[in-house]
Amino acid sequence: MPSSTANPKASPPQIIIKKTTLDDLIQALQREGYQVIGPVLEQEAIVYRPVTQLKDLALGWIDVQEAGSYRLERDEAQRFFAFTVGPQSWKAYLFPPREEIWKARRENGRILMEEPETPPRLAFLGVRACELAAIHVQDRIFLQGPYVQPRYARRREAVFIIAVQCTRAGNTCFCVSMGTGPHVREGYDLALTELEDTFLVHIGSEKGAALMAEIPHREATQEEVAEATRRVDAAAASMGRTMDTTELPELMRQSLESPHWEEVGKRCLACANCTLVCPTCFCFTLEDVTDLTGQEAVRVRLWDSCFNQEFTYTAGRPIRVSIASRYRQWLTHKLGWWVEQFGVLGCVGCGRCITWCPVGIDLTAEVQTLRHMYGRASSPATVSR
Amino acid sequence: MARPTEDERRIFELLRRHPFTRALPENHLQRLASIASVCQLQPGDYLLREGRPVDAFYLLLSGRVGVEVYQPDRGVIPLQTLSRGDAVGWSWALPPYRATFDIRVLEPTEAICLPASELRQLMHDDPVLAVSILKKLLSMVASRIQATRLQLLDMYHRENP
Amino acid sequence: MNHSPVPHPALSMPTQGTFPLFFRVVRRQRETPDTYTLWLEPPAGTPFAFQPGQFNMLYVFGVGEVPISISGPAHDPIPVVHTIRAVGAVTRALVNLKPGDLVGVRGPFGTSWPLEQAQGKDVVIVAGGIGLAPLRPALYHLLHHREAYNQVVLLYGARTPRDLLYRRELERWRGRFDMEVLVTVDRGPREWRGHVGVVTTLFDLAEPFFQPANTVALVCGPEIMMRYTARELLRRGVPEEHIYVSLERNMKCGQGFCGHCQFGPLFICKDGAVFPYPQVAHLMTLREV
Repeated sequence: MPSSTANPKASPPQIIIKKTTLDDLIQALQREGYQVIGPVLEQEAIVYRPVTQLKDLALGWIDVQEAGSYRLERDEAQRFFAFTVGPQSWKAYLFPPREEIWKARRENGRILMEEPETPPRLAFLGVRACELAAIHVQDRIFLQGPYVQPRYARRREAVFIIAVQCTRAGNTCFCVSMGTGPHVREGYDLALTELEDTFLVHIGSEKGAALMAEIPHREATQEEVAEATRRVDAAAASMGRTMDTTELPELMRQSLESPHWEEVGKRCLACANCTLVCPTCFCFTLEDVTDLTGQEAVRVRLWDSCFNQEFTYTAGRPIRVSIASRYRQWLTHKLGWWVEQFGVLGCVGCGRCITWCPVGIDLTAEVQTLRHMYGRASSPATVSR
Repeated sequence: MARPTEDERRIFELLRRHPFTRALPENHLQRLASIASVCQLQPGDYLLREGRPVDAFYLLLSGRVGVEVYQPDRGVIPLQTLSRGDAVGWSWALPPYRATFDIRVLEPTEAICLPASELRQLMHDDPVLAVSILKKLLSMVASRIQATRLQLLDMYHRENP
Repeated sequence: MNHSPVPHPALSMPTQGTFPLFFRVVRRQRETPDTYTLWLEPPAGTPFAFQPGQFNMLYVFGVGEVPISISGPAHDPIPVVHTIRAVGAVTRALVNLKPGDLVGVRGPFGTSWPLEQAQGKDVVIVAGGIGLAPLRPALYHLLHHREAYNQVVLLYGARTPRDLLYRRELERWRGRFDMEVLVTVDRGPREWRGHVGVVTTLFDLAEPFFQPANTVALVCGPEIMMRYTARELLRRGVPEEHIYVSLERNMKCGQGFCGHCQFGPLFICKDGAVFPYPQVAHLMTLREV
């Protein structure tokens, strides 16, 4: 985990590398023993996959997102990071959708436990501000309670983070409202801003500085720094969505018995897409399976969703029977109870749940409706994090 | 009013302590004491039989009685037990003054017995006394209904999934 | 009295992580037709301690894991005692284990009954059905430190006489001069000589044995039973913040991670299962929460 800030003498905090030099960075990370994960094109979407060289990255694509729709178009400017966020988030690597957490074997009347292999050291290339915020939300969940999730802790400790400043906002983005972006401010080892032929690199940690020492670079000019800021400011000014976060937990509490949940429940398919694409949703189930001989048992952790009916099975009966109650649970958790539980909102404004909802349910619109119903229409404001 | 007898004084004290009557003013308690007696009941005795006239309103002092109903294919079904502090039934207050369930004595039981027609006469003569008693009776009926509803829920039952 | 959640005991047990440790069944006893008690012996040298009201996650090899409250005395915690009602695949597998079999144990997890805060007060324990199992360690504690408490009253309701747990112990407790035990069943056969009626109907009988204003009430049973019991206690003058309930929800991890047991802002596994009634009263009547 990036903990200390860079020593400014070792290398200036803001430097310039050529775009092709990004390949050197990938190579250097691999030499350090990292598996690099970056944005690639797969099944007409930008997803995060292992990459070994610059040309694995999805170069020259722009995503066009709307409620219930996602489409890629060619980027005339041939940029590396002109798209925003896709269906997947880094959650898939820190908290994998399916993971063996232990194995047990019967032997001579005893049961022997086996721990799974140590997870690989990963380097994330292209983490956006909202995604960094989401990682910090999950850190609070998995690392800061009375208990710690050991597998998450190991992956998290080892990870190297190369953030990317968004220079374009999507139509379902609202990180500005949530106070999470688009400016990447902390929690990274390196942060890139894509310029015309170069990347401006902010160094965020000792680890980042050490890595950059090996890479050809030059000091950034004031103009380049200003240009980078301008580009991110432009993204901030073009958010496709907004959400008024004034007293959201209070609004959620007041809305608990609102008839509006029934109305959303009629549209919602309970498909669980929103929870799968959400970078902060953390619910999981544990499955215990045995091999055919019954001598070996494995516990597998799998992402689960509060939209599944079995989620609340208590002594064989679901408690949240209606879809309305499940949507209410999801939204009141994200925007209400989460604050009581973890001290932050559970939404970072990435907009994935809006884009990937097959019927286009838009939480920013639902919040607006609830505000009108419960008289908390308000001035534009952002939550302080 | 005539001087209370020794028995009446004793019954007055019992009424003053019984949950059903303890909130009543002294003059009401005296009037109730003047018509009441204390009866000793033995296991197997019936206080009430379904369909038969209700002779008295009983306030239990000790022991236990059961509310029961008989069904030919199931025999006697115990519905509820009543014991110290409970009052037995409300059929005495409602025409045609006939019991709707059996009340059988399960253990040696002591009760204050208020003869039904005399009690009704007292209430007819003194509406204030009538209101006090009916209010208490209503709260007793309400809590019996609540208990019966919970019983109907069969709340400990879990079907195996 | 403080009615904030009961704090977590320090995490010091090797069983409190994500890996179960395997304990051996040393004894099994039938309590009712579908409920059994198991005594579990930890591996040599493995410490185990708990507080009344806490639960363990019990794992049957290859079948699965379920939360089960601990039912033995906290002052004598080994072997670990669990009373289990067979309602699903895992609980059925658990009740069918025999002495010598192994059970994976993780725990203890969750909050505990407020026995320290209850010192010097009357303690009324109201149990419904299998709800007596998580309350038994509290009773053991009260009787073990009897002089620290004022009156001790147990009101216990079950479905039928044959669903009563711990019958011999109930009789023993009933014979004690320093506690009141009142038992009722929702439906009793004609031979049943005891009380018939829901557990709330016992309050009239229990009235002389406790001072509501100076009472701490510990309640466990089906949620609906706890709701009506809490109201009965309030009606009789027990302060709201002196009423504690133990809730149940689907649980996978027992550590507040998996999200299944969420109850409004609360994780039943981590913030409960024992809660001060005022903390959960509004949620207990919220539908499908």
